[in-house]
Amino acid sequence: MATLQLSALEKRYPNGFTALHGIDLAVEDGELVVIVGPSGCGKSTLLRTLAGLESITAGELAINARRVNDLEPAERDIAMVFQNYALYPHMSVYDNMAYGLKNRGVAKADIRRRVNATAELLDLGALLDRRPRQLSGGQRQRVAMGRAIVREPQVFLFDEPLSNLDAKLRVQMRLEIRRLQKRLGVTAVYVTHDQTEAMTLADRLVVMNAGRVEQCGTPMALYDRPATRFVAGFIGSPAMNFLPVTVRGERLELPDGGELDLATGLDDGAELTLGVRPEHLTTLPDGAAMPASAVALDTRVELIEPLGADTLAYTRLAGLDEPVVARLDGEHAVAEGQTLRLVLTGERLHLFDAEGQRLAERRCAVDVVS
Amino acid sequence: MRYQRPGLDIASHLLLAVGCGLFFLPVWLAFAASTHSMSELSGHVAPLWVGDTGLANYARLIEDPVNSLGTNVLKLLANSLVMALGIAVGKIAISLLAAYAIVFFRFPLRRLCFWLIFITLMLPVEVRIVPTYQVAADLHLLDSYPGLILPLIASATATFLLRQFYLTIPPELVEAARIDGAGPWRFLRDILLPLSKTNIAALFVIMFLYGWNQYLWPLLVTTDADYMTVVVSLKRLLTTGDSPVPWQDVTATAMLAMGPPVLVILLMQRYFVKGLVDSEK
Repeated sequence: MATLQLSALEKRYPNGFTALHGIDLAVEDGELVVIVGPSGCGKSTLLRTLAGLESITAGELAINARRVNDLEPAERDIAMVFQNYALYPHMSVYDNMAYGLKNRGVAKADIRRRVNATAELLDLGALLDRRPRQLSGGQRQRVAMGRAIVREPQVFLFDEPLSNLDAKLRVQMRLEIRRLQKRLGVTAVYVTHDQTEAMTLADRLVVMNAGRVEQCGTPMALYDRPATRFVAGFIGSPAMNFLPVTVRGERLELPDGGELDLATGLDDGAELTLGVRPEHLTTLPDGAAMPASAVALDTRVELIEPLGADTLAYTRLAGLDEPVVARLDGEHAVAEGQTLRLVLTGERLHLFDAEGQRLAERRCAVDVVS
Repeated sequence: MRYQRPGLDIASHLLLAVGCGLFFLPVWLAFAASTHSMSELSGHVAPLWVGDTGLANYARLIEDPVNSLGTNVLKLLANSLVMALGIAVGKIAISLLAAYAIVFFRFPLRRLCFWLIFITLMLPVEVRIVPTYQVAADLHLLDSYPGLILPLIASATATFLLRQFYLTIPPELVEAARIDGAGPWRFLRDILLPLSKTNIAALFVIMFLYGWNQYLWPLLVTTDADYMTVVVSLKRLLTTGDSPVPWQDVTATAMLAMGPPVLVILLMQRYFVKGLVDSEK
């Protein structure tokens, strides 16, 4: 239905605060792009500039190759789903959905047909005469979706639409949004601070930080090859462990004094950050030999979180202030206070330089060593 | 919270009954007096029970011009109604738009505008009555309905009340309406007005009573009996010079003057209380 093109999009407020520092992004037809980031990173501002609720200071915004910088929200042919739903409290569900069409001068019979069709799609048929306050959170959410769908817009914008729902409903609505978006084939931009939501929904994920795009790509690409330390720490739950390491020739010196075979080609003494995800730290079965090129981390377990299938172990490593988190098999017997030998293999490691940028050659280097 | 003690219940009901009685007594005395003839009233203490000339008294007041007033009470009631309705409707219309502008539009000196409106609370009619009279006279508004209504039509109270209500409307609702293609007027008509229904009803009651009870301003701008209001006429009926005061006329007019405000309150009580207590969201 539509493509979305942002080039060097900038937003500066009159008080001088720059919320967006030149955002470049292209959203393909029918794609669901999720913008994720910590609060205050500018993700909501970005969405609001797309909607036309905030003006654009510099740069270009085009929907279907048509420049829409200066168009009113209603003229951009977009629909938005708000975090608090923003349903009109005095109107019935039917009128809430019909209002936008009515303002566009759609014929009454047409409105009736489209609202009824949308209500059926969202299973709202029985609720059309109710007022928003007579609905549950999930139903309100669906009405808000219906209000967007019924307009048949070029682009859907979602502003943290699930954050007011309880956990179970959130998972359910997440699937429903995904299903609807694919079925309608509509282009969508979805803002959230919940990285699980982001990972599961996105065709493509945009991680924002301090008004800039940190990285953009498929969820798995971001998970496998985070471009910066920020992205590495943001994507994945529990978050990636970061160990400060020092280059010693072809090896890296770990905080506890251990050394890992890993050629970086950098000068001796260079300070790097080694990232390893909790799920990539393994334990050694009793009696098994250490694999070549692997290094053991001798840690003390401080806290365990049994999740059923997995158990998270928060462990203490000598020479490091932050705990090292390991995701162990749920069957794995581990007690708080015991020592635990974690194995750091040369694979699936991430190296970041002092500026937090990913070391480009690292992967090749690891492959050579292991 | 409710205390479930029978003794307490009886005591509080008793207290309520005494209070009601105290408030009702003057009204009853006035009503009783309005049904007696002039001769029965002069030189006696106020009667406690109804007399037998009640209907005749009221009919005479409504149909025939009262000597000391030069017009009948029906005309006075009509004048009061025009003035009270004009003030109430005008105040609400103006306050609605003023509050709308102050809350939802960004324009230079917006805060200053709000505070200018706000400080007019400190300048009631009585304070600015001389200049206001001068202006009304210059505009040839003396002895006319606009003269009765216009100087009282702006209301800081109503503007403030509506502003407070508008501030509670979530900004997302405004944005949703913008995306739905509702311009400023449509937003006002389709979203804001229906949402402030109860507030408007409450304001209408308050402002109607305010307009109806005006005394000083109508007294000043009207000399023609055709524009006299019923509240002003009450005082006029008492000033009879050497002849005795026609108490039956005074009390009957007072009873009639009470009618419309009581009706307005009874009819709008439900909305009135709702509008003051909760904001429907």
